[in-house]
Amino acid sequence: MAKTKDYYDVLGVKRDASEDDIKKAYRKLARKFHPDLNPGDKAAEEQFKVLQEAYDVLSNAEDRKLYDQYGENWRAVKAGAGAPPPGWQGAGRSTREGGAQGFDFGDFDFNSFRSAGTDAAGFDIFEELFGGGAGRGRATRSGRGRDVEAELELSLEEAHRGGRRTLQMQADEPKTIEVNIPQGVRDGSMIRLPGQGGSGSNGGEPGDLYLHIRLRPHPVFTVKGDDLETEMAIAPWEAVLGAKVEAPTIEGKVELTVPPGAKSGQRLRLRGLGLNKRTGGRGDEYVRLKIVVPKDVNAEERRLYEELKRVSRFDPRK
Amino acid sequence: MMWTNDLDEPLTCEVVAKTVGARRSLVVRLAQQGLIESVEGGADEPLVPRRVVMQLRRMQRLRRDLGVNFAGAAIILDLVQRIEELNRELVEMQRRFE
Repeated sequence: MAKTKDYYDVLGVKRDASEDDIKKAYRKLARKFHPDLNPGDKAAEEQFKVLQEAYDVLSNAEDRKLYDQYGENWRAVKAGAGAPPPGWQGAGRSTREGGAQGFDFGDFDFNSFRSAGTDAAGFDIFEELFGGGAGRGRATRSGRGRDVEAELELSLEEAHRGGRRTLQMQADEPKTIEVNIPQGVRDGSMIRLPGQGGSGSNGGEPGDLYLHIRLRPHPVFTVKGDDLETEMAIAPWEAVLGAKVEAPTIEGKVELTVPPGAKSGQRLRLRGLGLNKRTGGRGDEYVRLKIVVPKDVNAEERRLYEELKRVSRFDPRK
Repeated sequence: MMWTNDLDEPLTCEVVAKTVGARRSLVVRLAQQGLIESVEGGADEPLVPRRVVMQLRRMQRLRRDLGVNFAGAAIILDLVQRIEELNRELVEMQRRFE
C-alpha cells in the first residue's frame, strides 16, 4: 500500500492549526480541485480525494487527536487494533523517517473501502467518493444504495449507430454490466441505468448508475449538434469547372457535386447524412471546400498556367 | 440491461427530495426560484425532470464542500458547463488547424 501523505502537508497547515485554519485551507484547495468544478480531470479528482481524506480526519477532533498520536496508523488504532508497541514513533513520522524500531502497518489495507476506477472499455468511475445522499460516503436513512456517476467514452460511429457495450464496473463490488447505447447520444449526454449503482443496505433498493457520454474527437468530422462538418480539398480547376468528388460520410463515401465557380470555405450540404437523432431522422453533413494548389508543377502545367494568366481577365483583388 | 431514456421523466418534488436526501420544501423552493429546471405540474407544485437529481447532488456537494449557497452553486454549474463546451470547441479548433 502506498504511504499515506501527511494530512497537515496536504492541507498546507501547521500541526497546531486551529479548526478555522483547517477549514479555510480545505475550502481554498477544494475550490481548486473539486471534481464538480473539474469534470473529467483525473488529476484534480485524485488531489481532491486526498484533500477530502485529510480534511475528514483533521476536522474531527477525535480523529485528529488519534492521527496526531499515531500518524497514518490511526485508523487501525481506532478500529481496535490497539496502540502500537513500545518503540513506535508517533505523530505520523515513524514510517516516513524509517526508524530502525519503527512499527509499520503497511500491509493493512485501510483504504479497502475505496473502490478503484477504470477498465479497458473506456469506462471510468469518477464520483464514488460522493455519497448518494447529502451525507458524505454514508448510505441514506432509507438504506438506498449510492448513485454512481461514471464516464463512458465512445467513438463518433458508436454514438451514431448505438449498440451494446460490456462494461466492467468496480463500485461496491466488481461486476459486469451490458449497456445498450442508444443511437443519437451526444457528447455530454447522460444515460441512467436504474439499480446499477451501489448496493442498498438493510434491504434498501440499489442506487442508479449515471453514465456521462464523452465522444472521442473524430479525425474527419466535427460535430455541430446533429450535423457533421468536414473539410475537403479541391483543385483550382475543380473549383472553376465544377466536379464530382467522393465525400466521406459517417456511413461511407458518397458522390458530391462541386458546382462550377465554387469558393474556398464554401459549405455544401449533404442533406440527411449527419448523425442519427435520438428522436429519429438524421442531421445534415456539411462539406467545407478548401481550394489547394499543387506545390510542384511540371513543364506542361506551368505552360498552361502561363497561358491562363495571359488570357484571363480575372483579378482576385478587385 | 436496457437503456432507459427517462431523464426527462417528470418527478414530484417529494420523490426528488427523497432521492437526494433533502427536504421537499427545499426542492420546491429551488424549482420556484428557477435554480433547478422544472416543468409545469398538475397540482400546486412544479414537477422536476429526473436529470435534475444529479444537478441537485452537485449543488449539495458544492454547498457542503465549498460553503456556497444554492444560488451560487447553480451559477457555478452553469459556468462549468459553459467552460466545458468552450474547451471542447477549443480542442476541436486546435485539431482543425494542426
